[in-house]
Amino acid sequence: MKRLIAWGLVGLFVIFATAPFTVHAGLVFIAGIAMTEIIFALSWNMLFSYAGLASFGHAAFFGVGAYTAAVFLKYDYGLHFMLVIALGTFLGGVASFIVAIIVLRRASGIQLAILTLALSQLVVTLIGYSTYLGRDEGIPSIERPVMEFGLFQIDMSNQIQGYYFIFFMSLLALVLMWLLLHGYVGRRMKAVAIDPERAAFVGVDVWRVRVLAFTIGGAFAAFAGCLVVPWAQIVTPDLVMWLHSAQPMLATLLGGAGYFWGPIVGVLVLSAVNYATRTFAGLSEVLVGGILLIVVLMAPQGIMGFLRQLVERGPADQPDPEGERA
Amino acid sequence: MMTLYLFSIFNGLVMGQAIFLVASGLTLAFGIMKLFNFAHGAFFMFGAYVAHYVTGQEAASLPIFIGAAFVAALVVGAMGVVSDLAVFRRLAGVPTEYTLIAAFSIMLLASGGAELIFGQGIHAIYPPEALGGMIQLGIPVSVYSLFIIGAGVVTFFLLEVGLNRLWFGKIIQAVARDPWMADISGLRVQRIKLISVAISFALAGLAGGLLVANQSLSLDLGHSYLLLAFCAVIVGGLGSIKGAFFASILFGLADSLNYILLPTMPGVAVYALLIALVLIKPEGFYPELSQ
Repeated sequence: MKRLIAWGLVGLFVIFATAPFTVHAGLVFIAGIAMTEIIFALSWNMLFSYAGLASFGHAAFFGVGAYTAAVFLKYDYGLHFMLVIALGTFLGGVASFIVAIIVLRRASGIQLAILTLALSQLVVTLIGYSTYLGRDEGIPSIERPVMEFGLFQIDMSNQIQGYYFIFFMSLLALVLMWLLLHGYVGRRMKAVAIDPERAAFVGVDVWRVRVLAFTIGGAFAAFAGCLVVPWAQIVTPDLVMWLHSAQPMLATLLGGAGYFWGPIVGVLVLSAVNYATRTFAGLSEVLVGGILLIVVLMAPQGIMGFLRQLVERGPADQPDPEGERA
Repeated sequence: MMTLYLFSIFNGLVMGQAIFLVASGLTLAFGIMKLFNFAHGAFFMFGAYVAHYVTGQEAASLPIFIGAAFVAALVVGAMGVVSDLAVFRRLAGVPTEYTLIAAFSIMLLASGGAELIFGQGIHAIYPPEALGGMIQLGIPVSVYSLFIIGAGVVTFFLLEVGLNRLWFGKIIQAVARDPWMADISGLRVQRIKLISVAISFALAGLAGGLLVANQSLSLDLGHSYLLLAFCAVIVGGLGSIKGAFFASILFGLADSLNYILLPTMPGVAVYALLIALVLIKPEGFYPELSQ
């Protein structure tokens, strides 16, 4: 299984890295969006699979990042776009920290789900009041930024440069999340998710770990939000709506909850289905719904879990040497 | 000024009953199946479309209008039976997140299916002539809004009496509280669950049929009520009909008074109220069936 994942990752890396030269512009655009959705989904999975918190309003933090970036690019405050991303990520972290300290103390399970859902809808409602943020129509026709880095510059209005900027930023976020979750912090989160009582017993501050997880998750979601703005060139309240909050959940469960790489598989499958059915109104929903149902019923561990079963049931001459789980 | 408030309170009551009609099935599904049914709004919308399909733009008479609502209830109830047999039954015992996602995918199927069957158009629906007029109750109110209040209250009493006084309601409660023990004492747990899910879905269809003339019919119909109904179910205490009833009225009033007290910020009071109430009392008004 490990070898399979490794090859899959290398394959994905190659596909994404060469996309601008192998496929047409429409697909490159979708690939760019898919990369930000992957970061978004990974940040949700971090809360769900590692910290055991099912947030139903994660899009709110994505929205914080997206609107921060949109405002700075649209109204041209002249801040370097890298700093805008840093600021958006920071604000997303602050927002989710505040939400975490209010919400996590009192609510868990379904109450947590509904509270986060309500908070994200509250954000949508508040955006609707603000002419500055474009009310219900959102902020359209955002300019793609040009970034000076001293030695070189990145012009995002150039399709290829913009694509690679998003590619490397997503990769950076991915690596950061991987390191975080496979180190000290990730192990503590996992301990809290599996059994909060025992975790507390061995000296883990459960409350602090949960708040930390929530904050980091929100920050990464905001980071993804910042990245999508110069690429899509428009932000609308739809990015904050609960239907967008559901996207990372669908991707995670489809790909396989409990696997770090699961959400990536999920996002790719969802993007492919959406792309394949883009001209049939209603059909894509039916298909996505159908696929999800099948996955939940037949392979509750998602596509990754299904693959692992296949591999482990496969020919006996390929036993997993360490017997280690991915 | 006084009449303004009276209007607003009356509208709040109407809104509250409309929310309750949706929330009743939702809270029932939670109480019995421990299932937070995301698909409820979509089935509500589906019921509204079915009723519209039966009656056309304006129902010829009141019995036809109500009859269409019951047809919608039957159709959606049948869909509930299918969903339970095909999906929910198989997911008993897995973590709740999976049932949530299953409900979510059923929602996608239902709304996508509605889009394929009924198209994307937006329809304006009128209540039948018997409910069309206005009457004077201190303030002029439409007969249709009184009808909604009536329907909400009747549904509430039927469910309260049915669940707490009738033998069948008691059986349902027994199964909801302790399926294992109910099974030992000889109840057919699966069948009773199936019936309860059918009732819950049928309530969604019925609500769709009754409320179809309350606003324009579009594919987004489900979303607008679903969130408010969710709020009512949470605040009322998961699984409690009584709680959902009072919480629905509370949210209806909050939303309607919002327009007078905070006219520049429509829609904010509901969320503020929800957040405050959940933080103060996370278990809800009547935490009876939620354990």
